[in-house]
Amino acid sequence: MAEKLLTKLFDVENAHTIDIYIQKNGYRAIQKALKEMTPEQILEEVKAANLRGRGGAGFPAGVKWGFVPKTVDKPKYLCVNADEGEPGTFKDRYIMTHNPHLLLEGIIISSYCVGIHTAYIYIRGEYEVIALRLEEAIAEAYAKGYLGKDILGSGFDLDVYVHRGAGAYICGEETALLESLEGKRGNPRLKPPFPASIGLFKCPTVINNIETLANVPLIILNGADWFKQKGLPKDGGTRIFGVSGMVAKPGIYELPIGTPLKDIIFEHAGGMKKGKKLKAVIPGGMSAPVLTADEINVAMDFDSLVEAKSMLGSGAIIVIDQDTSMLEVLRLVAKFYSHESCGQCTPCRIGNAWIRKTVDRMANGAGQKGDIDNIIRVASNILGKTLCPLGDAAAMPILSITQKFREELESHIKGQG
Amino acid sequence: MVKIFIDEKPVETKEGATIFKAAQEAGIPIPHLCYHPAFEPEGTCRMCLVEIEGVPKLELACSTQVREGMKIFTRNERVVEARKGVLEFLCAEHPLDCPICDQAGECKLQDYYEEYGLFDSQFREVKEKRRKKAQIAKNLIHDQERCVLCRRCVRFLREVTGTREMGVFERGNHTEVNILDEINIDNNYSGNLAEICPVGAITDSDFRFKTRSWFLAEGDSICPHCSRGCSVSIHYNSAFHRFPVPKRVFRVNSRTNPDINGYWICDIGRYAYPYIDKNRCDKIIFNNDNTQLSWESAIPLIAKKMRRLKDMDNTSHLAIIMNTWLTNEELFLLKKLFVDYFQAENIFFVDPPHGEADDVLLTAERTPNRKGAVEIGFDLRPLDWSELSGNTDILLIFGSFLTGQTDSGEVKTHLDKIETKILLTPHSSDLDALMDIILPTAVIPEKSGSLTNVDGIVQEFAPVLEGIGESQPEWKILIDLAKLMNADFSVKTFTSPAVILEEMGKEIAFFKKRQ
Repeated sequence: MAEKLLTKLFDVENAHTIDIYIQKNGYRAIQKALKEMTPEQILEEVKAANLRGRGGAGFPAGVKWGFVPKTVDKPKYLCVNADEGEPGTFKDRYIMTHNPHLLLEGIIISSYCVGIHTAYIYIRGEYEVIALRLEEAIAEAYAKGYLGKDILGSGFDLDVYVHRGAGAYICGEETALLESLEGKRGNPRLKPPFPASIGLFKCPTVINNIETLANVPLIILNGADWFKQKGLPKDGGTRIFGVSGMVAKPGIYELPIGTPLKDIIFEHAGGMKKGKKLKAVIPGGMSAPVLTADEINVAMDFDSLVEAKSMLGSGAIIVIDQDTSMLEVLRLVAKFYSHESCGQCTPCRIGNAWIRKTVDRMANGAGQKGDIDNIIRVASNILGKTLCPLGDAAAMPILSITQKFREELESHIKGQG
Repeated sequence: MVKIFIDEKPVETKEGATIFKAAQEAGIPIPHLCYHPAFEPEGTCRMCLVEIEGVPKLELACSTQVREGMKIFTRNERVVEARKGVLEFLCAEHPLDCPICDQAGECKLQDYYEEYGLFDSQFREVKEKRRKKAQIAKNLIHDQERCVLCRRCVRFLREVTGTREMGVFERGNHTEVNILDEINIDNNYSGNLAEICPVGAITDSDFRFKTRSWFLAEGDSICPHCSRGCSVSIHYNSAFHRFPVPKRVFRVNSRTNPDINGYWICDIGRYAYPYIDKNRCDKIIFNNDNTQLSWESAIPLIAKKMRRLKDMDNTSHLAIIMNTWLTNEELFLLKKLFVDYFQAENIFFVDPPHGEADDVLLTAERTPNRKGAVEIGFDLRPLDWSELSGNTDILLIFGSFLTGQTDSGEVKTHLDKIETKILLTPHSSDLDALMDIILPTAVIPEKSGSLTNVDGIVQEFAPVLEGIGESQPEWKILIDLAKLMNADFSVKTFTSPAVILEEMGKEIAFFKKRQ
């Protein structure tokens, strides 16, 4: 088994409490960061570690922090994206449940590095129990002096708040998250301006995923080189892969970045359930283009998956077996994105509803010749034309399913005469 | 300045300008629905996507700022295909009711479809059923099926009136803009919503089903209903109708003027237009006997009466009631003729009563030219019957504003004491029966001249409509009268309001043309 970094304490009883966490060498990273390092040194270390965002886009965290203006007469904010809405993704919830103080430590170091004194954890509404656990952890951290005024006598102040979302997928998109946090309808904003300059309450804002921030204390304690060794030089560290679908042992697996997809499915996750044949894999959350059974000899890192014309996304691996109808998969995808489209921009609002209606009609046995070509055409008209990434997130899996499983989909049409 | 290339044409534009603005200045139109110059770009309709050399994705023209040397393509194949794609989406869920839609002919969606689309629909699905005819204000009807969700209405109510009556509801394909809890839009600017709606989703119940936009011609004018003097466009019937049309003007829209009204007008100004066609006085009326008067006989008759007073040094026997619907030129002529030359003292002003101002455009003054009258030298003395001397022989009244303001019995008692009462008015009213001579005059859209708004901006305007019946603009009547009264100013050279305004500039510093 690979070395566990983020999930090391998952099996330790009550590791979510601050006493056990400290007993297991917790909160040492903030001691080092706040007492021995300057914000610039932290930024350089995180940049050197090539820590790429774990939310989906894979943007280097250090570079993102570097975009925030150093001197500005406004407050700066950290928004922690705990919306975890990408279908198939269930990794952040485990970090927050089992190791909330690792996250808080990451939040403290990142805030110190960027000069932030207020952090918001935007957590999806469904994670009510987890939100309570975070609240408890935050209270413990305040009591120990790790949050609040003059943390560890460093003069650095930080307040952390938990904010629950109301159940919209789009609020996981960073600018929609900001709108929602401001109390508005969760519609994505037009970029530029980017949140690093104009974000929450029109102030410079950093938005990072839970897993991304949880890696920060490890980088501070062990250094950038160590971190890169745990993964790849250009893509450091481990990933918590969430494997779901028709595998023998679904669950989360923390593995080095670059672990082959095939190994994750057939070794770590125990192979196919009931010995069924593998048909397809969605490798990075539902918005990632689907891979066929022949395409799983791919390393699970950002660049390799881009080369395979898919994406690592949130590292959520959805395994589909021979008995699963790709029309049903397509239907699910189309239903999800048309339901979750915020509705503000034309191609996403109408295009996704159009595809959903067509796929529903096909599934109801009323498919017509030309339907698949039309779905491809409509999805292509969404791709790259929308205001936020949701349009692409819908178009990419729809295009890959229709193109790679065209024969199967056509059989549904032909089957109905 | 920044040099860019739009469709390979070199264009110079301001630093920080958007591609949309730069293209617009260069005369290159870029299709758009959600973009409106009054608001920050939202970038949601996706109609304005253009290609920028070196940028992989198509970018929004409405929000992307130009950079030195940027090469932009607004109508190459890739851009046109993207535009068609967006149009196809918009049309997929759009009803095919152009033949009964009031927006037809001036609908952006219809225009763009003709320009870029003209494709056969590939949409084989069932269109969403949405609310077709919802009253969202006393003057507005909302059709959810026609809405393209540009949110101009929502932004208008948020940013201009601040009343926020509309919002965005639901999500995805069920997204709609709507009022909340059936509480109607109720503000003095609601008519702008129908005007800025790029499609027929918000229509004006005042205009609905009355005519077709292509029967209408447009003319630039100034709104006379308060002293803001907003720029307006008068839309009037210009074409053959199968059925007789009872009116000429069908609506008044705002006309962009950054110095005065921006992009908007208020509902008072928008919906007051029936005054142009309703109750018009179109004939010279001589109440005393049955003699038929013409301009050729009426003006000499009046001039003679006035000259007699002047010759007998009885100038105090003349009283004049003016108003500030009169133009600068007309008030100037009145000043020259009656104050300077005739030496009349009994000059009063009767205007419609003041109303309440708001903090958007509407002012308290409900006439267009009180500021002009003051600059010309009038003190705007209100009418006081007791001050109207007992020996008044001739009373000259401009406008019919006495009606409705004073008790009609009281007016009659006072007027009965005066020998000759002459009314110059565009509108028939109760006052007519108390007059000896009634001369029909023009309304502002029928004449030319200038008005001075509350902020002292002098705005010239030209006639949009022809005069009605025998009516004549007041300036012309006054010039004719002045000639026959042997007035001592160069009235013969006063051939048009423009000439008069120029003369005014020489005599009154305020009216000197500012460069």
